Amino acid sequence: MLRGETEMPVAVRIAGAARLLAGARRAAVFLREADAWVPAFDSASEGPLWEAPDRLPERAGLHEGRLWVPLEAEGEVHGFLALEGLEADDPTEIAASLGLIFGSVLGVSRLSRLVKDAEFELKARLLELESLYDLGLSLAGQLDVSSLADEVLYRSISLTDARKGTLVLFGERGAPPLSRSVGGEILPPGAAGAWELPAGNVVINNEASRVPTAGVSFTDCEKCLLVSIAVPERRLGVLAVADKESRDGRVLDFTTGDARLLSLFANQVAAAVETTRLHREAIEKERIERELELAAAIQRQLLPRELPHLPGLDLAGATRPTRQVGGDYFDFFPLSRGRLGFVVADVSGKGIPAALLVSTVHAAIHLQIDASDTIVELVSRIDRHLQRFSATHKFLTLFFGLVDPETSVLRYVSAGHNPALLARASGEVERLHATGVPVGLLPHGSWKEETAPFESGDLLCVYSDGFTEATNAEEEEFGLDRLRQALVDRVALPPRDLSDDLFREVLLFAQGVPQYDDQTLVIVRRNGQHGVPAR
Amino acid sequence: MNETCRVSVERRGDVAVFWTDGYINNQGGEEIAREAYSELDRGARALIMNLEKTRIVNSIGISILIEVLEKVMERKAVLAFCGLTPTIDKTFRIMGLAQYAAIYPTEQEAMRAVGAPA
Repeated sequence: MLRGETEMPVAVRIAGAARLLAGARRAAVFLREADAWVPAFDSASEGPLWEAPDRLPERAGLHEGRLWVPLEAEGEVHGFLALEGLEADDPTEIAASLGLIFGSVLGVSRLSRLVKDAEFELKARLLELESLYDLGLSLAGQLDVSSLADEVLYRSISLTDARKGTLVLFGERGAPPLSRSVGGEILPPGAAGAWELPAGNVVINNEASRVPTAGVSFTDCEKCLLVSIAVPERRLGVLAVADKESRDGRVLDFTTGDARLLSLFANQVAAAVETTRLHREAIEKERIERELELAAAIQRQLLPRELPHLPGLDLAGATRPTRQVGGDYFDFFPLSRGRLGFVVADVSGKGIPAALLVSTVHAAIHLQIDASDTIVELVSRIDRHLQRFSATHKFLTLFFGLVDPETSVLRYVSAGHNPALLARASGEVERLHATGVPVGLLPHGSWKEETAPFESGDLLCVYSDGFTEATNAEEEEFGLDRLRQALVDRVALPPRDLSDDLFREVLLFAQGVPQYDDQTLVIVRRNGQHGVPAR
Repeated sequence: MNETCRVSVERRGDVAVFWTDGYINNQGGEEIAREAYSELDRGARALIMNLEKTRIVNSIGISILIEVLEKVMERKAVLAFCGLTPTIDKTFRIMGLAQYAAIYPTEQEAMRAVGAPA
């Protein structure tokens, strides 16, 4: 920042006072300004202006009819007093006195100006610091990048004394850029986007009117300063100012100090843009989490709130989703003549899409179960329902079982599901393999109903693959053999205790390693009593 | 924002009210100074400068305003500013302009303070 004040007004006064004191006809004081001696005439002086001689005298003396007096203070010549038309007999005596008096006056005036300039400069530095501080506060208090961009541009132009400035922020994900200009556009937003600033991300071009700036020619400015607005690994925009003005109307060079200040402002903008982006992402994440929680709550409503109590059967069913919403589903359906239908399903995918499919399957089973004479018919109806109403490329594995206590027979269809384990009272464990393809996978899938004796003391364990594919830190799977062994070891336990133990067993095995698939378990045991008609 | 600063002046008795529109830099400052000196020469005892349409003032503009203030004080007149943005308000206070020139939120308050005729 430059104050730009000179001693000219003081010089005019000195010339007037000296003319009166010396009894001269005309007087002028010459001051050094920008490599030239510039005269300040007494306001009462008339006639043509003088020019300073090529070589000004080192001591007071006459030159071309005028008395020239160096105005000196503290060993430094601050200017010259020139008097014309003196009436005194001995001008050198007057010259000594005038030189002493007005040299001191001019010296004090110059010192005073230097003090004022220094004070102005100090205040200007304070203003820069305050500006950075204020912008920092603005950054903390607002997320409106547009307002902040205006404020940064105004302050950048103001504090570098530029005549014009442009700030461009590139648009994210195809959005149009944000562009602000004062005093005219230095560079169009399109050019800014394609611009590769050199290392350091700062360009000072004090010959911008004839030398391209980082490969781009500017026609409307003489000198320019550009800084990149960037965070590590990513450019966010450009801040540019042009034509630093002086008090006398000249265009001054931009300095490294200007570049440093502009870089600090650019950093503030970059921080604001990043803060806004992170804030937006946080809000979006929060919104998704709220939606997931809502979906999870809805999905929990789809699971049985309590297990049916049927004579001759002891039941357990539980699921542990790995996200807020999962792709596993189980249900029990008390049917006529004491029969019990039950299902374990595992849909493809995770999260909201999987939960939507679970919801569809739940609705389909509840809609179709009474209209179906056989399990195969029910599964076929579910398949048609899914083919018609669910999104493409979605399918599910499913185990649907039907226990009839009167006949001691288990009927089932396994649509691509993991082998269910049937633990006999004798201690043997049978695997009930798939009897058809997953539901919704093929346009014309077919399934076969199988049967198995289900006598008193027998226990059926149906699970989803998240159970057997749970992994530990060594990336080892829990596996079917461990599940089978765990089942055999605890087969005497009531189904609920057995279920809790099996979940605990898997948890211990995983040793805290996060799991990526839902885990579901349904256990049905014959306890020897005969059922009564329920539906 | 305007590239060049426009200055308009209205005389209300011995009070001159200035309105600026645009960047107060060298050009804008000179324009203000020219009008201010003219009003002082015409006997104005108070100058009120309403800067509500100015968003930027640079150091050259400030130094010219300081010169105007010095001239105003020489003439035993008063200078008041109003309608400043918070940034310009703070700038004037830091740069010392507010030490000898009063700052008011609105033109009405400035007019009232200098005793201008309604």
